[in-house]
Amino acid sequence: MLKNVFGGSTEQKVIDNMKKHMQVLYSASGCFKKGMEEWDKEQMYCVADLEREGDSIRREIISTIYEGAFLPFLRTNICRFVEIVDEAFDALKDAAFEFEHLGLELDKEIREDCIRIADINQQMCDMLMIAFNTLFNKGDLREKTLAIRIYEKKVDDLKFDLISKLRKKEVKDFWEGRILSDFMSYLTHISDVIEDASDYLHIINLSMR
Amino acid sequence: MKVDEIMTKKLEMIDADALIYDAIERMIDKRIRSLLVRPKDENDVYGVITVRDIVFKVLGKNLDLNKTKVGEIMSKPLVCIDRGMDIEHAINLMTKFNITRVFICAGKEIVGIISLLDVMSAELIKKAREGHSA
Repeated sequence: MLKNVFGGSTEQKVIDNMKKHMQVLYSASGCFKKGMEEWDKEQMYCVADLEREGDSIRREIISTIYEGAFLPFLRTNICRFVEIVDEAFDALKDAAFEFEHLGLELDKEIREDCIRIADINQQMCDMLMIAFNTLFNKGDLREKTLAIRIYEKKVDDLKFDLISKLRKKEVKDFWEGRILSDFMSYLTHISDVIEDASDYLHIINLSMR
Repeated sequence: MKVDEIMTKKLEMIDADALIYDAIERMIDKRIRSLLVRPKDENDVYGVITVRDIVFKVLGKNLDLNKTKVGEIMSKPLVCIDRGMDIEHAINLMTKFNITRVFICAGKEIVGIISLLDVMSAELIKKAREGHSA
């Protein structure tokens, strides 16, 4: 249905770059997950690298849109969607940064929960790409956004459980506690942002009707 | 899809001697609807107490929450399946026994639990992913 609207060459360039943007987000979240699974702070540098790559793709998308891609009423929503995906990159990068500075030893159970959240985040990135592709084929966007909400709910449940466990942990100084708290906030915020992005896909889809 | 891909590994446990009031407190604090009841000794097996048991067997009968013990209303033995089984098998068991959760066992140990909501969520995600691979 949207092929007619997205059919021009500049539009196609934007769409290809948007797909690439989400693909890079998926790779960054995979890299983050691997770093957590191996509990290796060195590995987290790839997240910052991929975030920079994402930034560059975002700038290219926005420039192409302002050069005249898409009808004016669509541009705002598409730009907003791209900005939200970029917020997911930021949250991921911040989580990776805090992870690198994490001083406190975490229990096995807490580590497993964090890895589980990182895994769900990556699955959500994949589902966001699937949802985005339904704009161009006859797929059901509603069922994809529902899947994203289910994932988000799982992260919420894990977050609730993690916070109650972490409140019992003793920290030796302000920064140790602050870094741990920020790490958890960023880690669990990624799913919220991806859910927001999927909501925007729904808005883009509606605005095409 | 196999049950161990969607099971919840966190199992909240309570002793059979604990009071129903303790069980209610634990369920509310943890936002869960069932608790695994520890075996009393080596010859005993695990049991389960659910919100449904508390409502129908205690509150519905006006029993005292501070006097009734978990062991008096729990159900056992548990309905268990192997971790490598398909979700369809868990659904069949839920249908057959009219239960909303099935435990995942490895030998004598309980390693996870899947509820109706887990099954529904997994099926919806599977449907959304049809034709796509990560």
